[in-house]
Amino acid sequence: MDDAATVSTPTPAVEQAAPLLRLSAVVKTFPGVRALDGVDLDVAAGEVHCLLGQNGAGKSTLIKVLAGVHRPDAGDIVWDGQPVTFPSPQASMRAGIATIYQELDLVDDLTVAENVFLGHEPRTAGFVHRGPGARRTREILAQLGHPEIPPGRLVGKLPAAAKQVVSMGRALSRRARLLVMDEPSAVLAHDEVANLFRVIRGLTAGGIAVVYISHRLEEIREIGDRVTVLKDGRTSAANLPAATTSTRELVGYMTGRSIEYVFPPRPPAPPVPQRPTEPTVSQGSVAAPVAPLLEVSGLGRSGEFADVSLTVHSGEIVGIAGLVGSGRSELLETVYGARRAHSGSVRLDGRVLRPGSVRAAVRAGIGMAPEERKSQALLLGEPVYRNVTLATFGRLARAGFTDAARERAEAARVTGELRLVPADVRRPVRTLSGGNQQKVVLARWLLRGGCAGTRLLLLDEPTRGVDVGARAELYGVIRRLADDGVGVLLVSSEVPEVLGLADRVLVMREGRVIHEAAASDLDEHAVLDLVMAGSLLSGAQAEGDLS
Amino acid sequence: MNPFTNGPSRRSILFGGAAVGAGALLAGCTSNADNSTKNDTGQTKVTGGDNAALGKTVTIGFSAPAADHGWIRAITDNAKKQAALYKDVKFSQVDAGADAPAQIAALQTLIQQKPDVIVLLPQDGAQLTATGKAAMEAGIQVVNLDREFSDAGAARLLIKGDNYGMGLAAGQYIGAKLKGHANPVVAEIAGIDNLPLTQDRSRGFRDGLAQYGLKVTNRVAAQFTVQSGQDVTANLLQAAQRIDAIWNHDDDQGVGVLAAIKQAGRKEFFMVGGAGSLDAMEHIKSGDSPLEATVTYPPTMASSAVSLARLIGQGKGMSDLVELQVPKQIVLTSETITKSNVDKYLPLGFRS
Amino acid sequence: MIDVASPAAASAKRAGWWRGDGSEPVRRNLGLVGVLVLLYLVGALARPDIFLHGGRLWSNELTVLTQASSIGVITIGMTFVMISGGIDLSVGALLALASVWSTTVATQSYGPGVMILAALLVGAGSGLVNGILIAYGRMVPFIATLATMVAARGLAQKISGKLTQIVKVTSFNRIAEWRPLGIPLLVIIFVVVAVLAWVLLNRTTFGRRTVAIGGNAEAARLAGINIRRHTLLVYTLSGLCCGIAAVMVTAQATAGSSDHGNLYELNAIAAAIIGGTALTGGRGTIVGSVLGVLVFTQIYNLFIVKNLQTEYQQIAQGVIIVAAVLIQQFRVAALRRPVPPGA
Repeated sequence: MDDAATVSTPTPAVEQAAPLLRLSAVVKTFPGVRALDGVDLDVAAGEVHCLLGQNGAGKSTLIKVLAGVHRPDAGDIVWDGQPVTFPSPQASMRAGIATIYQELDLVDDLTVAENVFLGHEPRTAGFVHRGPGARRTREILAQLGHPEIPPGRLVGKLPAAAKQVVSMGRALSRRARLLVMDEPSAVLAHDEVANLFRVIRGLTAGGIAVVYISHRLEEIREIGDRVTVLKDGRTSAANLPAATTSTRELVGYMTGRSIEYVFPPRPPAPPVPQRPTEPTVSQGSVAAPVAPLLEVSGLGRSGEFADVSLTVHSGEIVGIAGLVGSGRSELLETVYGARRAHSGSVRLDGRVLRPGSVRAAVRAGIGMAPEERKSQALLLGEPVYRNVTLATFGRLARAGFTDAARERAEAARVTGELRLVPADVRRPVRTLSGGNQQKVVLARWLLRGGCAGTRLLLLDEPTRGVDVGARAELYGVIRRLADDGVGVLLVSSEVPEVLGLADRVLVMREGRVIHEAAASDLDEHAVLDLVMAGSLLSGAQAEGDLS
Repeated sequence: MNPFTNGPSRRSILFGGAAVGAGALLAGCTSNADNSTKNDTGQTKVTGGDNAALGKTVTIGFSAPAADHGWIRAITDNAKKQAALYKDVKFSQVDAGADAPAQIAALQTLIQQKPDVIVLLPQDGAQLTATGKAAMEAGIQVVNLDREFSDAGAARLLIKGDNYGMGLAAGQYIGAKLKGHANPVVAEIAGIDNLPLTQDRSRGFRDGLAQYGLKVTNRVAAQFTVQSGQDVTANLLQAAQRIDAIWNHDDDQGVGVLAAIKQAGRKEFFMVGGAGSLDAMEHIKSGDSPLEATVTYPPTMASSAVSLARLIGQGKGMSDLVELQVPKQIVLTSETITKSNVDKYLPLGFRS
Repeated sequence: MIDVASPAAASAKRAGWWRGDGSEPVRRNLGLVGVLVLLYLVGALARPDIFLHGGRLWSNELTVLTQASSIGVITIGMTFVMISGGIDLSVGALLALASVWSTTVATQSYGPGVMILAALLVGAGSGLVNGILIAYGRMVPFIATLATMVAARGLAQKISGKLTQIVKVTSFNRIAEWRPLGIPLLVIIFVVVAVLAWVLLNRTTFGRRTVAIGGNAEAARLAGINIRRHTLLVYTLSGLCCGIAAVMVTAQATAGSSDHGNLYELNAIAAAIIGGTALTGGRGTIVGSVLGVLVFTQIYNLFIVKNLQTEYQQIAQGVIIVAAVLIQQFRVAALRRPVPPGA
């Protein structure tokens, strides 16, 4: 238990008789997905309770249940000794739960004070009192240890760390008793994190409980009192002491997911000679018997990623593992030309691609299935076939006149190969499930068969929003594509997915590739260690000793 | 003699190229200027007699809204040309800017220069009343053109046109021609309907027809624009299969009205216009359209205003009147132009 | 992970038979056809002598179509712009500019062919300026076309000297008088433009790109579509429609004027919206827009033949816009409403 240096009040004992919040056996299902499958959680007043779990373990859903965004299908919530339901975000707020999401919900064009009191301004008959608002804001910010933030400053002009403090100020102004923070350190620099911790300690010293979600184990050790681990929508371990539980133990609770992903078998022989290091190869090097399909060298974008070099060969699936914010999606988009590289180059078949031009990449034979399928890839109101032919309708047209019959036939052929359900290319894409929508995106690039076709596929979180059964199918599709000679560069937050699907794995952390190895030489623990801690932890170093 | 309220309005702005009454066509319009039109018309005659004799030099300040439409353009132009006829008049024009506050500011500068008389067409009569008063109090005589101040004490002289009289004249003309017809169909094509000037004209038209026991059968409102005139008329001609007479408030929208009539191939009625544009007069003269008369709203009032301003400045009266001073108010009559007198008016015809 | 696709699929089944895949304009616009039928019935009650008399009805409806033709052509251009996710506030002003430019004494001296060509070139050229500002100057369409709206109207006033430019070239004016086979030429132009626009939108790569960049600009970009060039072309097309409409209006009015096309931008947007075009882009039909224009023109006609005050007509137009947009929103909401979990 951390004792904040700045406060003298004794912190309450962790193991109190009545917790502030108790969740038992909470279940929440969405069509096709059982997001929460019996979650238990105890949070005591004045503690920092850490929530740990892999992507898809149910953390986000759990937060939204607490915030009143989702209503659980089963299970009990006891708040301050009373059984409660939170039918709306307002109800949750009134009870005293404040949630600080990763993308802070502040209004940039309002002042600090206006943001702190947004929605509950001190007022009479509709007229806002500016004076008291500013005074209270100053008090609250001082209480948070940041009296230097001016209440009259526009929030948009504040740095990220100060914005976070303002968010917490808002929670305090509502007299919140439980603060839920979703990866608060993701947007902060190192010294700012220390500041954040100081603020959190100040809050808990005043009896406020904090539910703290982070992937960074060292942070959890530093700030946390107890840890609850989620896996596959269940609580896999509850109330572990944060300071003393070993990393191995925590990772152990997070991994070994019960869902059996069915990964297609890899080709018997690795398609390329394994060269884990020195990914850049000069032309004509004797060490490279096969010229790589994609060759990225020294690629960088300031603030996102730096000095990334990698290769993908024909028929090979290369996976990139890393947390959100590690720069992996940005890397993929830069290879595709959707972002302009600040340094380095991208070559396809040895030819340098024009930087910052999607059209050049597409013409060269690259296709991409972006992370945000609905906002980046699909015309939801349009029929399936038009989505499939989005990159090719010009080529299928005759003298500028589209050939709908041919488009439908081609789309039906390709989506048939992918076993699209329902097999009706006239349906609006909106009506398809996530997995089938993803198949539509893949079909778009598959349609370009033949010599001018897709040579390289960039897949960003290809199974996001796809239910379990459909995933296996998608994995099969991706492997078949590789078998047909397409190179695949895959990004996923789900470590088992990267390990199961890819031939070779690159681990990214904070904008850099920190490790590269054949997938068969890695396991989930090792990758998680790398992803979260930046290095292979002792004990996990020797492959295979964790089994 | 002012039987109608003529409150302040923004008529000129909406009046469009409504181009009323006689007035000189400006020299040097644009490449569009029709070379055949005549210049230097619409001025009061400088004849022999006492008033024509060179008198004390009078400085006349002039302010009217920016010449954004034909009628205002004619006002400004007429004032300038009239002033140029007198050797004893110093004419000083200030731009009125885009709105009433701008005109007030411009006038304050003008008042500082202490002219003898200010001739003022206000952007808005009510808003400029205080400024008129201030000028009068500073010893400057004010001649108020067309848009009336809300306080008669703010001006030495008011000269304005007669919207009610326009309608009345049109109604009387049509009434006289249709006397004896059984159930005549009389259509009215008004301008922008919510303007006081349109309402005054329509009231006059109703009163004029009533003198002959007639009524308006179909009434539509356009927007003082050619296109709107065409649009309402095309539909109006569908509404009534047979029409005996049409009064169109405004000769500018009348271009569109006549186009719609021609496009529909209708000929059974006659039409009266309003304003006195050159185009309307040419049609009246040639008889190539149903338009056989138009009633005027003359911008010559600006010429008269400058003449009278000179007399006021010199302390003289109007020579044909017994009084030693210029009267307090003059309301111009609306004249009816027909084929029989069109030649007289044609030189004053105003390009819309 | 939240999978919202499945409930959408379920509700699409619920949403019913009339929702096609975009190739069913008639069914999609049944509502507007219904409104037109309703307006006819109102007409039959108000003026049976016109609406129940074959000859007079034919003549009246030809007038409605003629008066709808210029705003109809403008609305078709606007529909492309709106489907592409933009807006063009300058259409009325571009019409005025094109009409004034084509009717100066100098232009008229070259005869009708040059007058028509001038109007089309000025319209398309001004549209190109809009396109450059938006696609390459990265201006918001609302702001860019607001600026060109003001500037074009001002330029038109400057050129015309705020005078009505009467067209003395009678052969030009005959565009509004010709009635091949008894059908006014203006109506024929309107129909031809509408048919070409329908083909362009539904059968060409141009139309497909328009829908794609309006439906999801990011997806279109990531699929390799040149969004900037296409945006440029869409605004140029709208400008060309303004030029065509300028010829029609000028011939109808027998004059060019800087007052032409007054409020056309609002009328065109309103007609496109009640025709089912989404302000957010990606959705809209030519048939719907044409029907939208006809609804407004028919209302206008009804009010005049019934000899009613214009303010009532404005109220009626407002009510129809609100009603049409509400209906559209309910449809969208019905399509997107998720099934409650466990249902």
